[in-house]
Amino acid sequence: METGQSAPTAPTKEWVLEPETEYRFELDPGTSLAAKLIRGQAEIFGAELVEGKSYVFGYECKAAIYTWQGCTIEIKYVSEDTPMAAYANVHTALEQRRVRALQAIHGSPISDDSVPTEPPRVLVLGPANSGKTTVCKILTNYAVRTGQGWSPILVNLDPNEGAWAVPGAISAASVNTPIATSSPANTLGAAATSAPVTLSSNALLPLFYWYGHKEVKRNALLMDRLIRNLGQNVQDRDEDPEAVSSGVIVDAPAAFGSSTGSGLKDDQRQVLIKACVDAFNINIILIVGHEKLTVEMQRIYGGRMDVVKIPKSGGVVELDHSYRDRVHSYQLHTYMYGLRIEPPPGVTDATLGGEPITDLALAPASLQLSFDDLSIFRIGEESMAPQSALPIGATRSLSEMQPVPVDASKAGSRLVNAVLALLAPPNPDESERYDEEILDLTVVGFVIITALDMPNRKMTILSPNQGSLAGRTAIVGSFEWSEA
Amino acid sequence: MSLYPPSTSYGQMSYPQQGYMHRAPPTMAPPYQYQPPPPVYHMDPNSFREDYLHRLSMLNVNSRPLIQSLSMIAQEQSRWAEIVAQCIETHIRRASPWMKLPAFYLLDAISKNVYEPYARHFTPFVIPLFLETYEQVDQSTRSKMEEMLLTWRSGAPNGKELFGVGPQVSIERAIWGGGDSGYGADSSRAPRNGGTAAPVSKAQVLSELDFTLSQRERSVHQNPYDTTAQNHVNVLRQLRSLVEAGVSQDELREVLNQLRALTRTMPPPAVAQPPSYQTPPPQPSVPQYPPAPAVLLQPTAYGVAPSQPSYPQQPSYSTPSTETKSWPSSLPPASALLQSNSAPAPVPAAAPVPVVGPSSLPLNNIENLFSALVKAGVVSSNNGRPVGAGATAKAEDVKSGEVDPARQASRDYRQAVLSQKIKLTNADITKQRPQVVPFLYDRLSSQCKQCGLRFSDNSIGKKKLEEHLDMHFRQNRKASQNVGRGHSRSWFIGVEDWIHEISDSKGKGRADRRLTAKETAAAAAKEEEAVLRASHVVVPPGDEAKPISCPICKETLPSEFLEDEEEWVWKNAVKKDDRIYHATCLAEAVKSNRVAALLLSEKASRSRSVTPDRLALRTTPPRGGKADASGSVRIPVSPSTQSRFAGTKRKADDPDSPTNESGGTPPMKKMTISTAA
Repeated sequence: METGQSAPTAPTKEWVLEPETEYRFELDPGTSLAAKLIRGQAEIFGAELVEGKSYVFGYECKAAIYTWQGCTIEIKYVSEDTPMAAYANVHTALEQRRVRALQAIHGSPISDDSVPTEPPRVLVLGPANSGKTTVCKILTNYAVRTGQGWSPILVNLDPNEGAWAVPGAISAASVNTPIATSSPANTLGAAATSAPVTLSSNALLPLFYWYGHKEVKRNALLMDRLIRNLGQNVQDRDEDPEAVSSGVIVDAPAAFGSSTGSGLKDDQRQVLIKACVDAFNINIILIVGHEKLTVEMQRIYGGRMDVVKIPKSGGVVELDHSYRDRVHSYQLHTYMYGLRIEPPPGVTDATLGGEPITDLALAPASLQLSFDDLSIFRIGEESMAPQSALPIGATRSLSEMQPVPVDASKAGSRLVNAVLALLAPPNPDESERYDEEILDLTVVGFVIITALDMPNRKMTILSPNQGSLAGRTAIVGSFEWSEA
Repeated sequence: MSLYPPSTSYGQMSYPQQGYMHRAPPTMAPPYQYQPPPPVYHMDPNSFREDYLHRLSMLNVNSRPLIQSLSMIAQEQSRWAEIVAQCIETHIRRASPWMKLPAFYLLDAISKNVYEPYARHFTPFVIPLFLETYEQVDQSTRSKMEEMLLTWRSGAPNGKELFGVGPQVSIERAIWGGGDSGYGADSSRAPRNGGTAAPVSKAQVLSELDFTLSQRERSVHQNPYDTTAQNHVNVLRQLRSLVEAGVSQDELREVLNQLRALTRTMPPPAVAQPPSYQTPPPQPSVPQYPPAPAVLLQPTAYGVAPSQPSYPQQPSYSTPSTETKSWPSSLPPASALLQSNSAPAPVPAAAPVPVVGPSSLPLNNIENLFSALVKAGVVSSNNGRPVGAGATAKAEDVKSGEVDPARQASRDYRQAVLSQKIKLTNADITKQRPQVVPFLYDRLSSQCKQCGLRFSDNSIGKKKLEEHLDMHFRQNRKASQNVGRGHSRSWFIGVEDWIHEISDSKGKGRADRRLTAKETAAAAAKEEEAVLRASHVVVPPGDEAKPISCPICKETLPSEFLEDEEEWVWKNAVKKDDRIYHATCLAEAVKSNRVAALLLSEKASRSRSVTPDRLALRTTPPRGGKADASGSVRIPVSPSTQSRFAGTKRKADDPDSPTNESGGTPPMKKMTISTAA
């Protein structure tokens, strides 16, 4: 697959194809490719190529050059400017802010006042499949690679993304070494395990809140509240001057960027964006390749902060729903069992982003507990009875934010295979308790109910480790998972 | 001014004169063993050669683990010593200059630690190789090589020249110049006729000074309270700045002579750090290494002519008295000064380098050296500080030079970043040519070969890289120890811990974070207290209103109604010999009893030393104060340590229970962090 770009200095590349192999390419809009057969025989979907002639392809052509007997081809590929240049410039601009912020913290004389002294707190917006997460990752990785001791906080607000653990959660983690890429199951690095790992990005300590659904529209109010909770904790974090100066990079869900397809009303979107801006004290908004949204954001926030449109990468692949669902399943599997990828045969020294493969396999535990051991809740209207089922005269008293206990012993609890977020213990001081406290509790781990034994009031759960459960309250969302 | 901070990367000084000869009896387990390298089964020399060359090609940073594993292989495959030697030679010749030093360290390590047969295989090419390399590398690498060369003087297991006196002299002469001035100064061997001695070069004196200085600094580092060593370091530093400022030829010679005498009597740098180079001797019963074949050491073979060809077979150093006699200077030699404090024991052949502990080091030898120099007029003294030749200013320069690189580097970085004319606007972002490459690549020229992280080439970057490699090394070791043990996903940390989680050192996985002993102790104490406070005694029926006071502190114990128990209780109370005490008071009193205190501390240490894995599996928490508690006392256990599902649910485990007043159990929370590793 040739979806990358060639360096401007070497636009030509020779490929030697073994017999019965093919060279595949997919062109981005606005790019063209020229293929020349240097020696041997080759064909494109049955039509033979003449040696020494250049064949040109364009208009997002996706094709393959096949050879029966082996051949050498020369590929000239010209891509329009990749967005990397722009991303690098954004990085440099952020870096200037970090340097200035650190200077300000240290009380150094400020030489140049054209750059603000606030650490960069970036919100990345954009439509679906525009590469928002990739932008966040690139900017984070560049920051930690500078050798300046930065450790920006990377925030994932996209419940569809999964980030460090499982989909349905929103989370934040401080990153201090580059995040490797090896699988969509942990695009942003992995949460800590008991295994010793080589890369710190495989032992991140993220903070999680559980939203429980993949679509933001399902409970926008809850989303709003969780964003504010997460933001508060990010702002409360004690950090050293370098970490403070490193700033925050927030990856927002596509739904925040456009109403089409997300089902969110425009005003809901605005409220959620405002929640992000307030919660994380955002001072830079980056919009990935969306003119209309840029204009909209500039109108609303342009006076207060930098609103910049950055190009979308041509390498972004459209992800369909079934792919997303498969990734969700991979993520849950990876959370429980770790990451295991069989390297192609013959590769014996394979690593996963630098880690020995075997060390990343994990062993979850199957535990049996009584129904009374775990208080399970659902949040909001999802569990509401229809209006018609209520007694005459009764009005609906449940709000979207109301935690409703789920009784595992009742039929129709829909708990089997459900992904449960286990919450941290509530405030030990009873006078500090409040009704919706469980909305504000962070997640200590995820468990999956694998079986219910009604007569004995017992349930079997898959727990990530053999230790005792770290919490006794759980929220169930709309995610289900079973081991295939 | 540590030239080689005691560190992870393969440093010169961590082991030099410690062949295993000088090590305590072989029955004593060495503090650290090589990590076994992956088993290598080589059928034929060619594939061995290929493999070894390949491994060598990965040695492009100064990485202790790599060097260790390579020398381990060399040791195991000593039948192919010749191939190993050839490989190393080829590698050093071929490698680019910045890769040469690590390879030399490998050569050095193999020669010193395995010695036989390697040193003799290296000897034929070590002179040209060293000199060629020396020509090609930069100044800082050169000084590293000079340091290494100095250790070769006594690098052989019998305390003699690692590659024989011939090569040693040749190399030293070639790099420092000047006839026999270099090595000839060794009075035990070369009867000197002072008048004809060739000039001593400043560089040579400086590098020897640095060598001595670093040894002293190391011992200061290991024993910060050793004020003697600290004084030595100060004096040596002054000397160094003096020499650097420029002194006459005679003075140089004096300094050098004194320094040598001193170095010889100084203890070898103590090897306290665990990763010292210790290889169990292959034949522990053999009392001495077989001397290297004489032919190799015959100086004539190298065209150098020290006066005593039979030297290698002799005990390396004559006794101090002869040294004194042959000393040409009017100054009392430092070694003579030493005698007044501790006469060096006669040196047995089997242990030519006496292992003198730092404490037994004569208190003042370096000061004596200094004052001797002052007396001789070499150095002028003003309150013990050299003032001649602008030395004071120079010394400060040197000092500020040490502090500055870090700040200078970050200042440079700041300026470079701020000088980029980039505005965060749509147009600027797309129009500007990005200047990211210098920042992400060029400025960070050394790369970790394991994970690709880059570091700058200055001293801070090197230090960070060393720490980083050390982290990898520890992780790898941990991983190899953990083989077969199942791993699992850890619970996420709670919000309080997340907020207060301070990344301790960058680039060093924070999962690696350890609690300091103090923190652990404080946490344990807090937990202990929480457990104590949570213990209570049920009030006998009818006694609810009866006032009762703790016999120790005389304060009254109020009774409270415990909802969960549906009973009246005295909180923070234990019953002993039919009297009700405050649990905390009693514990305090018991602690003052020494035996009880010992028991307590043993319990505390046990609860801290369990591995995270076991901790995770543990279902019964430690029960503080159990021994003191009579049967009627219930001690609620803290929620985080109890397996909620392992047994019957306990009432006392209710989140409302007093245990939680202390905000949970800090040690367990912290364990979560360390379990995260």
